[in-house]
Amino acid sequence: MIPTESAISRVRRDITLGMLLKFAFLATIVGCLLFAPQFAKIGVLAAVAVAWLALSFTSARTSRMNIGSPTLIAAGQFEEAERQIDQAMRGFSLFRAAKLQALHQLAVLRHAQRRWQESAALSRAVLAQRLGPADGLGRPTRLMLADALLEMNDLRGANESIQTLYRQRLSLSEVLALVLVQLDYGARAGEWERMFAGVAAKVQLAELMPAPRSARAQALLALAALRLGREDWAAWLRQRVELLADVNVLAGERPILWELWQKRD
Amino acid sequence: MDEALPPVGFLDVPTLLEASGPRPRVPLIWYVGGGFLVLMLSTAIAGQQSPQVRQAVEVLSTLVFLAMMAGLSMLTVITVRKLRAEQVAVEGAGELVQLRRWPQAAWALQGILSQPCRTHTLRAQALIYLASVLTRYHRFDDAIAVQNYLLEHELTDPSSAYGLRLGRAMAMLREDHLLDADRAISELRRTGPAASAGLALIEIFRHVKTGHPEDAVQLFEDKLTILRDQLGHRVADAWALVARAYDLLGRETEAADAFRRATLLAPLIELRRRYPEVEKLVDRYQAAQAPAEMA
Repeated sequence: MIPTESAISRVRRDITLGMLLKFAFLATIVGCLLFAPQFAKIGVLAAVAVAWLALSFTSARTSRMNIGSPTLIAAGQFEEAERQIDQAMRGFSLFRAAKLQALHQLAVLRHAQRRWQESAALSRAVLAQRLGPADGLGRPTRLMLADALLEMNDLRGANESIQTLYRQRLSLSEVLALVLVQLDYGARAGEWERMFAGVAAKVQLAELMPAPRSARAQALLALAALRLGREDWAAWLRQRVELLADVNVLAGERPILWELWQKRD
Repeated sequence: MDEALPPVGFLDVPTLLEASGPRPRVPLIWYVGGGFLVLMLSTAIAGQQSPQVRQAVEVLSTLVFLAMMAGLSMLTVITVRKLRAEQVAVEGAGELVQLRRWPQAAWALQGILSQPCRTHTLRAQALIYLASVLTRYHRFDDAIAVQNYLLEHELTDPSSAYGLRLGRAMAMLREDHLLDADRAISELRRTGPAASAGLALIEIFRHVKTGHPEDAVQLFEDKLTILRDQLGHRVADAWALVARAYDLLGRETEAADAFRRATLLAPLIELRRRYPEVEKLVDRYQAAQAPAEMA
């Protein structure tokens, strides 16, 4: 298993090395154009071009190693995913995006393994970097961080992450993830009215989620409805949840949800 | 969820397939390489001339080199921006399909596929969404044409190809191409995963459609957990179909319960649109009532 700290320091080191190399190439080209004699100039420029192409090729190969891991994680093949991520981390890349992508994938893997502390540490390490061309990683990483912090019962940290996301334009899949994190946060913080606000839109979004997430989102909404005395909503949502998931598994993951079924008895 | 149908002649499949094919790429790297070579040669030849000429050529070649590098960088930035814009457009169309905003999705896809796509991957993704939109408008033969095109040209990864085969088999059933559907189902059984909720749903539909309600009920009962876990809210489809199967068997209590469960998870109007068989249940059984705010 890749140790979290060494993964973070390796990625930081590789990003610095990549930046230094790019700076060295640029300095060589400028110096060569300004100061080198004509024949040396051609040779040096050709050498820089060849070295750049070779390193770009290696970098592209490293980037490709990142492609397969999301599918493996989704399929639950964690060992194979870890092996691929390890290869991507060890491979050289001139480009920070490839390295940050590998670190992000490791955070996703730890999240899927329910190793919340490691997932949060890796997510924070990704967000601490200037993302640049890897800007697209920022939002999913922040969502994952918020979720991991909730699992660790760090409500303040989770809320900070959620608040940052309000200022950003999200894709539909990110909106779905945010809705679930918000509901989870709301239930832990006891913000029942806020959870229930816009309930119809939230239910429509929950319908687009995969079954377990959809069931959890609607169960949390049912709980908010119950706490606010909206028995019509609570009953309707509870019946839907029963058709979407095993109630014992669902409430086993979020014990607060037992209330939905206890009240009925 | 606007229900208005797009105009006739809209989303013409042969035209869109023809127009959306990516253009061959200009081999820019060879032009740049050639330019660089010419530059090197002209500088080398100039080196044998008088010092004034040599100096002038040196300055000129440096400027040309810088201009080539700047031009190449600008071109790369423009290309990447255009590619990104197309990617955003295709992702946007996908989100509209997911949100069931069909007319908007149809217009977006018409726009994307009316001109050459930049990559085969984006084109294939847009065509997958197009097949969904065509199915939604009950243009099943057109949807099958798009799905066949994608499968025959191997434009998708194995997992998307399996999804396309499922969609095609469902469209065949809706169009009463029962023999083709049989063959498609056999192929799905051979090539797909052992536990596929999509395939189970298609088989339940076929049993209901061909008058084998016992088989539909049996299959539903065997696969209910998989159907629930894999289909999410679309498990409503299975409940609606099994309600019809119970109804055909005269098991009215079970039919009423299954119909209530189906309508608990999906709006009745949507279920009626997906399966004409549901129509026969509407006046006989009570749909689940959603809270007023959901209407």
